[in-house]
Amino acid sequence: MSSIEHLHRSRFRASFPDPEQLLHAVAHLRAAGHRVLDTYTPFPVHGMDEALGQRPSRLPRACLAFAALGLALAAGLQIWTSAVDYPLIMGGKPLLAIPAFIPVAFELTVLLAGLGVVASFFVAARMRPRLRIPDLHPGANDDRFILAAELAADVQFPAVARELADLGALDSSLLVEDRFRRDGAFWDRPAGVGMLLLACLPAFLLLALVPVLNRDFQRRNQAWDGGMGAPLSAQAYDASGVLPGGKVLQAPPPYTLSRRGEPPLAFAAGKAEAERAGRELQNPYQPTQARFNRGKLVYERVCATCHGREGDNNGSVIVARGAFAPTVLVSPAVRDMPDGRLFHVATFGGPTKMKGYGDLLSREDRWQVVLYIRELQKAAKPVAAPAQATGVQP
Amino acid sequence: MAHDADVLSASGIPAAEAERYGHNLPLIDGNKTYRQVTEEVFAPTERRPPLRWWLALAVTLSMLSLGAWAVVQTLTRGIGTWGLNRTVGWAFDITNFVFWVGIGHAGTLISAILFLFRQRWRTSINRAAEAMTLFAVMCAGTFPIIHMGRPWLAFWATPYPNSRGSLWVNFKSPLLWDVVAISTYFIISLTFWYIGLIPDLATQRDRAKTKLKRTILSLFSLGWNGSNRTWSRYETVYMLLAGLSTPLVVSVHTIVSMDFATSVIPGWHATIFPPYFVVGAVFSGFAMVLTLMIIARSVMGLEEYITTRHLEAMTKVVLATGMIVGMAYATEFFTAWYSGNPYERYVFLNRALGSYQWAYWTMVGCNVLSPQFFWFKKVRTTPWMIFILTIFVNIGMWFERFVIIVTSLHRDYLPSSWAMYRPTFIEVAILIGSFGLFFTLFLVFTRVLPMIAASEVKGVLKHVEH
Repeated sequence: MSSIEHLHRSRFRASFPDPEQLLHAVAHLRAAGHRVLDTYTPFPVHGMDEALGQRPSRLPRACLAFAALGLALAAGLQIWTSAVDYPLIMGGKPLLAIPAFIPVAFELTVLLAGLGVVASFFVAARMRPRLRIPDLHPGANDDRFILAAELAADVQFPAVARELADLGALDSSLLVEDRFRRDGAFWDRPAGVGMLLLACLPAFLLLALVPVLNRDFQRRNQAWDGGMGAPLSAQAYDASGVLPGGKVLQAPPPYTLSRRGEPPLAFAAGKAEAERAGRELQNPYQPTQARFNRGKLVYERVCATCHGREGDNNGSVIVARGAFAPTVLVSPAVRDMPDGRLFHVATFGGPTKMKGYGDLLSREDRWQVVLYIRELQKAAKPVAAPAQATGVQP
Repeated sequence: MAHDADVLSASGIPAAEAERYGHNLPLIDGNKTYRQVTEEVFAPTERRPPLRWWLALAVTLSMLSLGAWAVVQTLTRGIGTWGLNRTVGWAFDITNFVFWVGIGHAGTLISAILFLFRQRWRTSINRAAEAMTLFAVMCAGTFPIIHMGRPWLAFWATPYPNSRGSLWVNFKSPLLWDVVAISTYFIISLTFWYIGLIPDLATQRDRAKTKLKRTILSLFSLGWNGSNRTWSRYETVYMLLAGLSTPLVVSVHTIVSMDFATSVIPGWHATIFPPYFVVGAVFSGFAMVLTLMIIARSVMGLEEYITTRHLEAMTKVVLATGMIVGMAYATEFFTAWYSGNPYERYVFLNRALGSYQWAYWTMVGCNVLSPQFFWFKKVRTTPWMIFILTIFVNIGMWFERFVIIVTSLHRDYLPSSWAMYRPTFIEVAILIGSFGLFFTLFLVFTRVLPMIAASEVKGVLKHVEH
């Protein structure tokens, strides 16, 4: 399409080789009653805002609003996650450790302010990725200083063109149609800034709750540091504030496999299963000196506390405390049990007294303990079955 | 500068005479027109790169490939491929991280702080220095991510709603502050750099010969047409971003220093760390800017834009910050002695006289002694001398981080856990790879985008230093 059809009747442009001449021409045109719409220059010409009668940009307001939003989000995020949703004591610091929240709050304030003011700039200046850009003012990005203006009511363009040539214009012509719209974005209206600040209010109120939530009646004076000097500490057996039911350690979900890479055992807990294990399982390890040593080590660390170092309950802690008597391992009843059954008890525990050690000891260690118990039984003096060994549960 | 001794400066005095008194000199040599600036600044992006550019790219890509190989080794075989042990659990990776972050800070200092101080000579170097910042921060970011061992889970360091019950990151940990600070720094630096690029992208778009290039540049130049309304807002936004970046850059290295200072390791647990690290960052960053600019100006023929006066101004910053760094070294010893803390005293004696004394004295020699040559004007205005000295400063600042980290860790409280650290080939290869990444990105940058901010240089073309 021909640009002639779109020539504006009263708008024109002129280009100059120098910023001073452009400034001069703008002042001249405005004095003569023309309306200078805008100038197009390769770099910002200082004094042009005043010459055009353009008011200073209000983008600093947008920057302030976004900074407040960033601060509010950072405060809200840190307070809610650290003190409300996940109240875990870390490093002995109070849950609401305001000094420790300052760095992240500062960074997010800067981040939101920077990105926000740039986004506002793009919106205000209607800058967006464009596939085709009409070259309305050729040279404006290179070495030409161009103005666009609207003729005063009763003036013809040729007369103005001659004046402009006298002022140093390299060329001037009527303007191809272009859109000049008045800008108006939220930060140009006080209400817009107010609304955004209002949106930040809940987070600031949350911030104001800090001294209330952090209240400690035993302390006389309010510490400036939000209590950073008085470390919190969790006591042994305290309920956890994080896991449901106050647990401090979660049981593994059902069907969890061992990280040791052992395949699951095809047995469940219970006496019937223990007897089946006795029938079906063989100790896969032969007694060697190394296995004996390992079995002895594990036995003495884990089993001997209750069963005694010799397997005869001698020195048993729970017997000494008068709780109950564990099964005597060197008794004939236990001696007659197959290896698989002892292994099952070591894994799943007995029917009434003993707990299972399947989650603490590796499968190899449990078999080695069985080997060691066999050695204990061989070394034990053949005595009559003690009175305690009433049950068969080991 | 020999070649302008017989020409007149902008104010009509013989240049040599004017230079002696240091005034009435234009910021840009060669008495250029606006058109000339456009042609010369955009020329490298429009012609085919010369053979030596390809050779340089081949070298840097080889370094990058070596680093990539080492990273793959680390990830597939594990962190055990590094020389770390229980006592020295942090060494090469964190040294390189702090080194690269520090390098980046000069770019922000030049683009933001010198802008706020109205140091107009910054216009010739700010674009390249900001690009250097971005590339350096990218290099820095790779190290902690690799050290995670499973970098594809790096997003765990961000607070995002997850399906693991209530589980959030620890906002009281300096390591998390670090994640937030470095990410913010990268994003804001990228934004600042891009905003500064838009007018030049528009010029590049107007000059584009091929349709593809024109389309891409149209997308990125956002319809820029040089309108004064836009310029007016642009200058406001630029000023605001400079104002935001200035405290940001200080906060970033402060937080990096807190990774160490908030721990209880003697040699780390000191309040001097934040200013000490920030100044060290500026020192090393300016040295790296000088190293790069001295190569770039001669390779790309930009001596009239990046003049010896620019170099001289930067060497003065290097000298000043180098002396502050030297002062910090002395202060650390005084603090250790004055604290009366035997562990603190031992750490510093061990630094200077222990097993890593070679690293300590390399650091002191490079960082405290070598900048002293910049007291001489002849040295400040001779590019090859500046080049050699800034290389020394870069080496010294790398060793400073190594000394702080390794010497403080390797002698633990319990003599039974004392250990030595030495990097493995894999670690050295990753460091070489990070230099490869940095220089590859820089080489590509010089051929794809205008290395000098043409619109800013045009604005100071008629400006004469008084």
